Amino acid sequence: MSGNGKAPMVAVEGVKKVYRRDAEEVKVLDGLSLEVPEGDFVALMGPSGSGKTTLLNLIAGIDRPTAGKVIVAGTDVAQLGESELARWRSRNVGFIFQFYNLIPVLTAEENVALPLLLTNLSKKERRERALTALKVVGLAERSQHYPRQLSGGQEQRVAIARAIVADPKVLVADEPTGDLDSKSAEEILALMETLNRDFGKTIVMVTHDPRAAQRAHTQHHLEKGVLSL
Amino acid sequence: MKYLPYVLKHLRRNWIRTGSTVMAMAVCIFLFCTLQTIIAAVNYGLKSASASRLVTRHSVSLVYNMPLAYKERIAQIPGVKRVAISNWFGGVMGLPPDFTKFFANFAVEPEDYLAIYPEYVLSDAEKQAFFADRRGAIIGPDLAERFGWSVGSTVQLESTIPPYRIGRPFEFVISGIYEVDEVRYPGTDGRLFFFHHKYLEESTRNRAGAGTFSIEVNDPDQAAAVGKAIDAYFENSDVRTKTETEAAFRAGFVSLAGNLALLLNGIGIAVTFTILLVTANTMSMAVRERRTEIAVLKTLGFGSGLVMALILAEALVLGVLGGGLGLILGKAMIGVLPSLPLIGDVARAFPNLGLSPLIASLGFGIAVFLGLAAGLLPALQAYRARITDTLRTV
Repeated sequence: MSGNGKAPMVAVEGVKKVYRRDAEEVKVLDGLSLEVPEGDFVALMGPSGSGKTTLLNLIAGIDRPTAGKVIVAGTDVAQLGESELARWRSRNVGFIFQFYNLIPVLTAEENVALPLLLTNLSKKERRERALTALKVVGLAERSQHYPRQLSGGQEQRVAIARAIVADPKVLVADEPTGDLDSKSAEEILALMETLNRDFGKTIVMVTHDPRAAQRAHTQHHLEKGVLSL
Repeated sequence: MKYLPYVLKHLRRNWIRTGSTVMAMAVCIFLFCTLQTIIAAVNYGLKSASASRLVTRHSVSLVYNMPLAYKERIAQIPGVKRVAISNWFGGVMGLPPDFTKFFANFAVEPEDYLAIYPEYVLSDAEKQAFFADRRGAIIGPDLAERFGWSVGSTVQLESTIPPYRIGRPFEFVISGIYEVDEVRYPGTDGRLFFFHHKYLEESTRNRAGAGTFSIEVNDPDQAAAVGKAIDAYFENSDVRTKTETEAAFRAGFVSLAGNLALLLNGIGIAVTFTILLVTANTMSMAVRERRTEIAVLKTLGFGSGLVMALILAEALVLGVLGGGLGLILGKAMIGVLPSLPLIGDVARAFPNLGLSPLIASLGFGIAVFLGLAAGLLPALQAYRARITDTLRTV
């Protein structure tokens, strides 16, 4: 339980993650535990290979722990089957990548509406929601532009709109400012603060950038798969 | 259906690649349809071949004629019921000859020929009119419809075969239009033209000879033995004969064109297999280029099955487009085939030459199968791709 008596939005309990490379076992996370209360904005920092992205992937439900529990929004994600996990991700997690990863053949609006294809919404409703999400990130007027017609910062804002369009409880961001200049990075961080403050999104962000980490409420440092405050 | 725009957008991503793949597949289906149509036309012709009929020709080639006197000698061979002379006339209308109006025409001995070939159904009045008029001719209903001919119409034909050329066209009067009974006699050609062999003999001053002898045997089970007996009879003659069943004769006639069907069928199979490899390679490239995108889709919550289905849908669209285009090309080609130089002569000899619904469906089915088969492996790769592995290697 978190301090306010409510169940945490993210609870990682004694998680181990081991990768196999040929005959060798590489221990990435070693009995790590972490709680993120609902509405928190957490930054995960640490050197390369410390296990930040692995932890983020476990929280996002795109990887499974070797041992331990990962409970997000009340669901033990490790217990879900492949297709259940995919459905769960579409409803509960918004993922923001370092390199935006927009689909180049789709317009900004179509990219944002992509997760809504998995819902029962009509085409009109999907379009309305995508435009609303683009308005939130300040790019409604660029809705018909293709990724190649947008700057890096704009692409990342479209990616954030895609992450929030299905109204997930948790946003996970893997170095969201890592590929941006300082001005664009500042805009993205401000936007994430807004999403956290005004829309109550719980955010877990991996970053190398100390200035970015300072925008989070809580900072965690990982060193060789172990957490240190 | 909500995923269709997404699928189409990906196909438009590299339209040159998509276009060339569709064209390759279209050529494959076009080839299949054209070849199968020709083969079907040949088989249709063979359907009308009777087991009780033999055809005797010059042992060297159909090009050479045999002495008319052979008829009486063949008629005396045990097992032979009836014999009729028949010559391919190769007549063409118009001056100069207009080959676009070509049709098959034969000089025959009317009484014996119609007795051997009951599938050319005529009323007694028409038969008698034909027998009585040396310039008389009977034609099939399709031919009558094609040129608007009726009983009493006059037709002028000039042969393309040198011994039958007399410096002017042969003139004929239509005595009757035979009926085609598809139920009793399937495969009967409704586009033929028959006239008196005597007219040919007289006009060419007996240069004509006998092109083939159509023979009806008493017992179909003895047909092969009778054929051997006929050839054995003329074994030591100047002009030896080759006798075969009507079906074998027709099949052999087709093989005069160098067994075109077998050859082109082989080419068709090779092309189909090549197109499968080309399309599979194209799909693999398309999927390999989109590894990140596939990982992103899965991260967003698209299940592995759905991702696989989307890739298969792309392959299916390629197949449908290629198949559709191939059918259009095939239909167009089959339509113009009879009017083409050289090959048109062969094409016009086949009745019922047209793209059948069965062949069209088969061609389309092959295109769809090709598309799906080509997309299966890349789709399986996408299905199996793990998000973290894919994102890590990008």
